[in-house]
Amino acid sequence: MTISLAARNIAKHYGAVIALSNVSLDIQSGEVLALIGANGSGKSTLSKIINGVVVLDGGQLLLDDHPVHFQSPQAARRLGISTVFQELSLVPQMSIAENIWLTREPLRRGGIVDRKAIYRKTEELLALFAGTFKSNLTPDTAVGPLPPDEKQIVEILKAASADPRLLILDEATASLDSRQVQRLFELVLRWKQAGMAIVFVSHRMEEIFQIADRYTVLRNGTTVGEGLIKDVTARDLVTLMVQGATAQNVAQRSRPSVASLAERNITLEAKDLRAEGLHGVSFQLHEGELLGLGGLRGQGQHQLLLALFGDIRFTGTVTVDATPVNFTHPRQAMRKGLALVPGERAKEGLLLLRSILENLLIPSWREYGPLLRIGKARQNAAAIATSLNLKMAGLEAPVSSLSGGNAQKVVIGKWLLRNPKLLLLDDPTKGIDVGTKAEFYKLLAQLCEQGKSVLFYSSDDEELIGLCDRVLVMHDGMIRSELVGESLTRANLVAASLGAAQEEHS
Amino acid sequence: MIRRFGWRNRATQLPFAIYLLVAVVLINLTVQPGMLEPATLNGNMRVFLPLILVAAGQAIVILGGGIDISAGAIVAIVNALLATQVGLQGDPGFAVLMMLFALLVGMAAGAVNGFFVAILRLQPIITTYATSFLFGGLALWILPSPGGGLPAPFTSFYRETMPLGLPLAFFVIALLVLAWYGLRQTRYGRYLFAVGGRADAAYQTGVPVRVVQFSTYVISGLMSAFGGIAITLLTGSGNAQIGDLLTLASITAVVIGGTALSGGTGGIGGPIIGAIVLGLVPNLISFANIESSWQTFLNAAIIVLALAMPGILSLIRRRRV
Repeated sequence: MTISLAARNIAKHYGAVIALSNVSLDIQSGEVLALIGANGSGKSTLSKIINGVVVLDGGQLLLDDHPVHFQSPQAARRLGISTVFQELSLVPQMSIAENIWLTREPLRRGGIVDRKAIYRKTEELLALFAGTFKSNLTPDTAVGPLPPDEKQIVEILKAASADPRLLILDEATASLDSRQVQRLFELVLRWKQAGMAIVFVSHRMEEIFQIADRYTVLRNGTTVGEGLIKDVTARDLVTLMVQGATAQNVAQRSRPSVASLAERNITLEAKDLRAEGLHGVSFQLHEGELLGLGGLRGQGQHQLLLALFGDIRFTGTVTVDATPVNFTHPRQAMRKGLALVPGERAKEGLLLLRSILENLLIPSWREYGPLLRIGKARQNAAAIATSLNLKMAGLEAPVSSLSGGNAQKVVIGKWLLRNPKLLLLDDPTKGIDVGTKAEFYKLLAQLCEQGKSVLFYSSDDEELIGLCDRVLVMHDGMIRSELVGESLTRANLVAASLGAAQEEHS
Repeated sequence: MIRRFGWRNRATQLPFAIYLLVAVVLINLTVQPGMLEPATLNGNMRVFLPLILVAAGQAIVILGGGIDISAGAIVAIVNALLATQVGLQGDPGFAVLMMLFALLVGMAAGAVNGFFVAILRLQPIITTYATSFLFGGLALWILPSPGGGLPAPFTSFYRETMPLGLPLAFFVIALLVLAWYGLRQTRYGRYLFAVGGRADAAYQTGVPVRVVQFSTYVISGLMSAFGGIAITLLTGSGNAQIGDLLTLASITAVVIGGTALSGGTGGIGGPIIGAIVLGLVPNLISFANIESSWQTFLNAAIIVLALAMPGILSLIRRRRV
């Protein structure tokens, strides 16, 4: 089973957003290619083009030297390209065996699914990872209640069971523990020797150096380097990933010095916070400080914010203004002056069909008496809308009529109406336009000047570097490093995110 | 958390429906001791059968992640068709032909729903609510005022046939369960659960999601047509409003039977039991000599309780953890 796949000058855009502008990549039988790039560099889009989930806008895919044009994942799969998806493609209500063989069920006469064969084959597949499961997995175990790592393994087995010629592992190791990763790598070696080609998308440098033969580095949707892994160091790769990328559109603000921050009151202190996905997080947040949370997506940042807001259960201590607190419901956190601006606007932050006015006032109705003083409430809402420069048809217009950026302003505005002293921001600028982002940065700077404290998680490294006083880089549910002052550079942030060695303070 | 919790439920759902059936039968026996005698049993089951058939179709749609609000209207079309076209004095051969035609009509109506929901991707609940007026209007056009019917030999065959001394309905149910069991063993069965469970995951895996969704509405249309034939045989007459109550009853039966409205779990065994329970409750109440002005309230209260029971049970279980 030999295969060669070449991507030539691939381009892909979503509306005005350019995801890929000029990407090339080559891979052949019997090799592992590491596809590397910072957040948003286009790795996932490229893998989705190769496996047919996304249709390319320009360039060419050559499979065994013939141009191909996949219209669906099935088309790619028929030609032997299989993917371990990052967003899981499993049906939670179905069993492991049913999920793995879905659409490829062995049939007996009369179109009856051969359950015995499926069971046996699934047992063989599960045996590949035997000993690395926490629970006792059988082919009949339902997938829904499995922990993330075991779901990921089922996903890997599902992709591998198709006997692909090309296997794409898109962050497949992100939720696996080290034993499971090692088992996967043993399998990858075996598959490689059998002639399979493997695209390995990962952020973990040590894994890349352990398993990959070659690398391709993407930056801003363009291939910026490729070669043999044995010829490079982790530093070289990080340099390639960040080179030339400059901070854009981030408002510069006068940052308080490290020393002056340390003298200020501590607004929030967390000690040894633990929850699902959080493995002991401790930090302090000072009055008027803009503290960034960085790292790859899904390293516990979201859980940390939810825990602080009393939205999920955790252990450890949280102190707000020198008083220990134990929030078990967001309402309690709100009373203490906390506000959480969620990243998933549509899901967590807004009632899309209701008016802007209603959305702005939801957390604050209590202020306006048992018999609502609507006039006063409307006045305040209008004031905040003006101060946020909200572009709208009127306060009565539904939120769904707003652009993404303006909708996000409503989410922030509804919390500002409560005049919080501590803002928790969960990737608030995701998917909003550049102009609104700039306004938003200005707003954050203003809030900090007023003495409010902000804990700001962003998946956009530029924002963190250009805006924050300090940045805590999270990795695997822990704070991996703290970047402040001189050490707050893009290279350090990327390196810390990936778990590579940090550059010396210059 | 909540999802995990819902999971534990799944295993207990079918047994719950069975407990419920046993409880209702036992209570019914205290007020109507002769209830399990063949003739009485047959008298009950032949009344329940139309709902059982419609509920089985509804269960397939709900399993696949949809809902069919037009099921009752399809029953009405079939009833109106048979009552007007065959008539009380109709030719038996023609009557059989008309019944086969009615099945096609049911499937065609289901295909209309399927087209809107699966192909145009409209909201199932709104779409089928709208088509229910379409179908209901057609039924009224065919049969503006109650009348017509089927020849007496047909109705007496339906009402009185008791093979091996058992109600005809039992054999129909056995057929349904067998067909369902067979379907589950096929690839289509797997697709049905996958589509209802998580359509995007199923799509990503290569399941023909739209075809499966479409097919569930055609199956529901077919089952509604069977239900329409059964109800016409039962009443022996035509009434374009005959199906009005069947839609919501069928959905209630599915839920009582433990099939989640969110799709992806359950089967048709539960909904069949649910339909029988729904039929037995009014029976029980009328035999218990309860003042007629209270009957509706009591009937509804028992159904609400039955619907709430799995939730209450799991609440208790959660407290204990």
